[in-house]
Amino acid sequence: MGPLAANEIISQDTNLIFAFLIGIGFGFVLEGAGFSSSRKLAGVFYGYDTVVLKVFFTAGITAMIGLLFFSLFGWIDLSLIYINPTFLYSAIAGGVIMGAGFILGGFCPGTSFCAASIGKIDALVFIGGLLIGILIFGEGYALWEGFYNAKFLGIPKISESLGLKDGLMALIIVLVAFAMFWVGEWAEKKFPREEY
Amino acid sequence: MNSRILLAGFLIPMAMIIAAVPSNKTKQYKLTANQLLQEAVSYEPYIHPDNVADMLVQQDPSLQLIDVRTPDEFDKFSLPGAINIPLSELLADQYVDLLDQGVKMNVFYSNGTLKSNEAWMITRQLGYSNNYVLQGGLNYWAETIINPVPPASTSPDEEIAKYNFRKGASMALGGDVDTKSAETAVPAVPVITAKQAKKRVAGGC
Repeated sequence: MGPLAANEIISQDTNLIFAFLIGIGFGFVLEGAGFSSSRKLAGVFYGYDTVVLKVFFTAGITAMIGLLFFSLFGWIDLSLIYINPTFLYSAIAGGVIMGAGFILGGFCPGTSFCAASIGKIDALVFIGGLLIGILIFGEGYALWEGFYNAKFLGIPKISESLGLKDGLMALIIVLVAFAMFWVGEWAEKKFPREEY
Repeated sequence: MNSRILLAGFLIPMAMIIAAVPSNKTKQYKLTANQLLQEAVSYEPYIHPDNVADMLVQQDPSLQLIDVRTPDEFDKFSLPGAINIPLSELLADQYVDLLDQGVKMNVFYSNGTLKSNEAWMITRQLGYSNNYVLQGGLNYWAETIINPVPPASTSPDEEIAKYNFRKGASMALGGDVDTKSAETAVPAVPVITAKQAKKRVAGGC
C-alpha cells in the first residue's frame, strides 16, 4: 500500500498538502515543547537540559519501530522510502558546519523558523545568516562541486554493513537511546542551571 | 519519571518483538514507467532455442517452459514438458507460486515473442525474477531446432557442430514434434525466410 505517493495512491500535489500539514504540526509541537528557546536548545551541549536529545530520539525510535511494524503488516514498502544518499566528505563537513552553527546561534534551521514565528529577534538574525549561507553555497557551487560530490557511498545502512537484521538493529538503537536518556538525565542533575 | 518508564515499557518490548520476527519480504512494489523502460532496455530476457533444447535433451529439472498461447493452440502443439498459462490467465492465483519463485527457470514462449514478452513484462512489473522469454518464439524454434538448415560444407566446424546438435535435438525431442508441428510451423514460413539472412549474420547463441 504505502508509500502513498510512490504507489500513486495520492498525487504529488496531494503529497505536498500532506507535507504542509505535517510541517505545521511539526512546528507547532516544536514550539510547544519549548524548542523556540535557544537556551534550551544549547543546553544539550552543556548538559543542563537534554530535552532536545530526548525529544528527537524518542521521535526517531517511535517512527522507526512504527515503520518496521507497518512493513511487517505489509502496509508500507520500505524499499521505496527515500533515504538521503551518503556523500561522505560533504556529510562530515555539513555536520561540522551545522554543529558549529547550532552552538553559536542556538538554533537549528527548523527551530529558528519556529522561534521566528513567535517573534524572536535572535531567530530572525539566525535566519538571515542561514540565507547568506545558502547564497554563498549556491553562488560558489562551482568552487566546491568536486568536494560536494566526492566519496559517494550510495545508501549504506548500518544494519547491512554489520550484517544485522533491521529489527535487531532497531532494538539496539532503542536500548542505546534509553541509555542516552539516562545519561542525559544524570547530566541535568550534575550540571544544573537555575534560570535559562 | 513515571511517563518515562511507561515509554520505555512500551518501546523496548515493541523493539524486542520487531527484532524477533522475520522481516517482511513480500514484494509489493510496482515499477514506474521509467523503471520499466530501464529494465526493458538493460535486461536481456531472451534464452536462445539452442540452450532450451540442450536443457530439454538433458532433462534439466530447473527448466520450466510456459506456453502463454491459448489452450487450443497449446493442444495442437507444445514443447515437451511445457505447461499452459494463457496470457489472459497470467494473474490467476493458482499460478502465483509457479511464476514467483527462485528455483526454476521459467521460459515463456508463444508463436512469436509478442505474447511471451508481454507475460515477461507483467511478471517484471510484479517483481518476480527467474522469468525468461524463448528467443524468437516457436517460429524461431521451428527454424533452428525442428528444421535446422544444413550449413554449407565450407562453414566453420562450429556451425556444423551446431547443426548436428540441432539435428540431434530435433530427433531427441521428436516425440512431440510430429506432423502436427508442420501445420503450426507453416504459417511461420514467411517469418523464417525473412529472418534467414539475419540469422547468418547473428551467428550462434
